[in-house]
Parts: sequence; structure tokens; C-alpha cells
Amino acid sequence: MLWLLVAEFRKLVRPLVWGAALAIVAFCLLITWGAANNARAALASPRIPDVCAQAATAQCRQVIAHAHGAARAAAAATSQLAQPGEIGHVAAGMLASVPGLLLIAMIAGGHWGGEWGSRTIRQLLCRESRRGRVLAAKWLSIWAAGVATLLVCYLVLAVAGPVIAAMAGLPASHSALWAGLGSSVWAAGRAIVVLGVFAAVGTAAGAIGRGQLATTAVTAGSMLLALLVAGIAGIGRLSPATFVQAWMGFGPAGYLPTNFWSRFVSGDLHVGQLAGLLGILLTAAVAAVIARWRFAADVTA
Amino acid sequence: MGRMDVISCKRLTKRFGSVVAVSGLDLGVSAGQVYGFLGPNGAGKTTTIRMLVGLITPTEGQIRLLGRLMPDPRAVAQTGSMIEEPAFYPWLSGRQNLQVLAASGGGCAAAEFGRVLGVTGLSEVAGRKVRTYSQGMRQRLGLAAAMLGRPPLLIIDEPTNGLDPAGIREIRVLLGDLAADGMTVFMSSHLLAEVEQVCDRVAVIVRGQIVEEGAPAGLGVIRRRIRVQVDAADNEVAGLLLARWPGRQQDGQFLVEHDSGRDVNAALAAGGVIAESVTVELPRLEDRFLEIVEEKDAHVVVAGS
Repeated sequence: MLWLLVAEFRKLVRPLVWGAALAIVAFCLLITWGAANNARAALASPRIPDVCAQAATAQCRQVIAHAHGAARAAAAATSQLAQPGEIGHVAAGMLASVPGLLLIAMIAGGHWGGEWGSRTIRQLLCRESRRGRVLAAKWLSIWAAGVATLLVCYLVLAVAGPVIAAMAGLPASHSALWAGLGSSVWAAGRAIVVLGVFAAVGTAAGAIGRGQLATTAVTAGSMLLALLVAGIAGIGRLSPATFVQAWMGFGPAGYLPTNFWSRFVSGDLHVGQLAGLLGILLTAAVAAVIARWRFAADVTA
Repeated sequence: MGRMDVISCKRLTKRFGSVVAVSGLDLGVSAGQVYGFLGPNGAGKTTTIRMLVGLITPTEGQIRLLGRLMPDPRAVAQTGSMIEEPAFYPWLSGRQNLQVLAASGGGCAAAEFGRVLGVTGLSEVAGRKVRTYSQGMRQRLGLAAAMLGRPPLLIIDEPTNGLDPAGIREIRVLLGDLAADGMTVFMSSHLLAEVEQVCDRVAVIVRGQIVEEGAPAGLGVIRRRIRVQVDAADNEVAGLLLARWPGRQQDGQFLVEHDSGRDVNAALAAGGVIAESVTVELPRLEDRFLEIVEEKDAHVVVAGS
């Protein structure tokens, strides 16, 4: 099994994986850059109602003061979130939500679905015919690629975040550079679990789709469908997307969003974190059963 | 089937829905043999090979590979195989592809990569990305991959596909050397002349069933042909004298289905006809193969009607 994993990791060293991972890191950087600039713009010109723009009534002065205060608070919050200790929330949230899902879908498509498309699956199964092991190795390697991207994203943001905040002219953070590191690491740990379920869905999608594009489409499509279902009252509670939301505890976003997930999930489902974890594990188990069942079929590629 | 069979199939059947790809196939390949597996397109060759290496599951029947009842991962791991056109990871070099494949099967000695690359003539291009390889080079790399770790059994599908004449000759020599080293080779091929030269035994599969099996020289009825040319004036008499054997006229010559030129010559002489030439022709395996296929097809059509 260890040799098989070595082979799978070796196959991951390819432009598709590098490209997808770099795209995610670049996306996180751009989001941080955009958020810092938005916060600075809001600080420079807070949102003041037109009626108060020219008027100097006491009520308007109060509204204007409140707007400036809110802008300062938002800028300070953005600056704080861009510090090395806190920015792990951004990396974890991005990788445990739609960007991470798309990353895993791309990697699963190339790394697993591509075995079918390029017909290398024949060579692979003629070397290791225990299909359960092949599935496990694929799952682990796809998951590992997601985790590695999360770590790289965290490190890059930890270095670039404070620089971006300073360049945007956001107020300096008053807390220590590494304040909030514990909760960031905890968020990253939870994101690793979510990446595991994304990878399990990708592995099942490969066994179903048996092709690069099909695997990518089934992986992304199934979880995006789960997101849609999560917004439907009644059945939304049972959606895997709701389990991810509950486990990650995604909250409303400020200027610097910490996820692309919570806006699609109904906020009044009241699923606890432990229930979310159980739901994620159940989803992964169902994906594993489907993958095992579909992969047992004849290989005619 | 003997007790030393490296490959043994009993009543092997594979159906895809209502289509019967392989039907009740019995096959035995002894250790050290180079065994040819012939058949027209769609006859069931590749389906049989896929069942042998466990890629598809037989509907009925059983397979023993290296003495182990399939499916058995240990038997597959000890079998080198190349199924149809070999496929590789194009972003890796030839050597890296071999390393990845070897690792997938549990690894092998580092010296093995140099050995198989040398044997297949790929040493100089081993560091190049496979995406730059020609079809012939990919074919050689497929053979190199199959030979990794010196497996006792090689199962290869169309090993000379895409190779130039020199490459085909090299592969023929290579397969002979492997057999001389005690390796058993089971190969399918459309290049019947190659099979005739390389294989110890041959099976012909038509419509999922083996219709002939044996040494290449003895495949089917031994149908030596005698080509007889006589003076045009003697044609009618010669036709009557040669009518005792099956045959036909072709381009003013008689083609007689018999294995003795002496008998034919004697029959003509007894009738007062002096032949201008009597030539014994040994049909190539290709001719026999086509005859067998046509006969089998005709039989099936008649039986079906």
C-alpha cells in the first residue's frame, strides 16, 4: 500500500495539479487584496445617506458618526483578519467551501478520471488488482493534494496578508501578530476533514464518470447540488452542504470573506457541529460504498 | 490441459448483455511456451486477455493463472501484461513511467529499469517525456513495463503494433530469448507471419470459440497445394485426371489440394499428360487462418439458416 501511495503521489506532480493549486492561492490573495481595498475605500468615504450629505442636523451628525465608526470597525476587523494569526480562517474557509471543492474536482478529474480517459487504468490494475487499495490510494492522494494546497495557501496569506493590509492603508492591528492562531489552526483542522469528504466524493465520481471531464463535473455538480438542496426548507437539513456548514461554523462575511458557502445555506437549520461531523462522515461512507460498487464493474477502457 | 499449465481456462464465457463475446473457451498454456492467440477483429481475443488479467469478470467458467484460481492479486502481480495499445502518463519520462508502474505493483530493484530499457532499446530516450515518443517507442515501453521484475508469465496484446520491420524483428528475437529463459509468453497478434515464426503453439478464436489449436505447422488440415501447369491442349484431359483431388483452376493453372507432388505427377503421366511444371506450395499461416475463419463463418451461417 505504501508503494502504491508513493506512485500516486509521484503522479500528482503534474501541471494540472500545480496550476489548480496556484489558482486557488492566487484567488485567496486577490480576495484579500480586494477586501483590503474595499475596506480602505469605505474608510475614506463611508456610506452616508444622501439626505445627510448636505444637512447638518443633529440626527445626520449622529448617522455620519455612526457610518465613520462602522467603517473604522470594518477596516480594523479586515486588518486584524489579514494578520498571520487570523488569516488561517480565510485559507481554511476557502478550501472548505466552493473554491476548495473546485480544486478537488479538478484534481480528481485529472488524477483519477484521467486514468480512465488515458486508459492508464489498465496498466494500474494489471500491477495492483486489489481495487479497494487503488481506491484508497486515490482518495488519500487527492485529499493530500487538497491539504497541501491549504497549507501553502495559509503560509502565503500569512506572509502577504499584513503586507496587503499595510499597502492598502488599513489601520494597524493592535493585537499580537499571531493572535488568534489557535482558532485558525482549529479552523484549518476542520477544513482538512471537509477536504476529506470532497476527496471521497471525487473518488466516487471517478468510479462513476470514468473520464476526466465527467469526474470533474460529477464531483463539483453533486456538491453544488447539495448546496442548492441546503437552501430548501425541510430537506435542507439532510444535505451534505448543511453538514459542512455546521461543522465549519461559517459565519456572515465582512469585507474579507472567510468562505463561499454560508450564503447558499439556509441560516435557520440549527444543525450542531457534532451532527455536522457525523453527517460528513456519513457522506464520506456513502461515497466510499458507491465508489467500491462502481469500481467493481468491468474495466473496458 | 496439463498440470504444468501456466494459463488454464475452463468453459470460459463472457456475455455483454445479449452479446456473447467468449463462449465456453478451454485453453491451456504450458510453462516456457510462446503461445499465439489469433482471431479476426471482434472474435474475443482482447476480452479473453482482459479476463486473464482480471480487468473483466467472466460470466461463467474459471481461470487459473500460475496455478492460482482467479481472481487472485498474487497471480496478477506475477504476470507482466500489455493490453492493446499501451498507455502512459505523458507528463512523465519513460523511466519515470516505469518507476511509477513498478511502485504501483510493490516496487522492484533499481537495476531493473536499466535492464528493461536496454532490452527494448529505449535507454537513450528514457529521460524524455513520453508525450514525445512515437507509437513504436510507446510499444517498446509497454513491453519494457511488462518485463519489469522478470515475471514468469507475459500476456501481451499485439506486441509488434506500430513497429517498423527492424523493430518487429527485434521483438521476435526478444520473445524467443524470453522463452529460452523459461518465461511463458501468451500473445495475440494479427501479424500471422510473426506468430508462425515465434510461437510454439497457436489457437484460433472465431466468434468467441476456439476453432483450431496446435503447432503452427499443423494448424488445421495440412493443405499443401500442388500448382500444375500443362500445355493448353492438355487442359481438358489434365482436368479429368486431377479431378480425384479437390482443387480448382486459376489463371490457366490447376491448384490441387494434395500434399504429394509425386502423386499428382504420376497421375498425369499415367494419362499421357506431361506437366510443364509441378510446384508444391505450403500455404502461409495467414492463408490457413483465413480459410479457417471462412469455413467457420460459413458453418455458422449454414447452421443459422
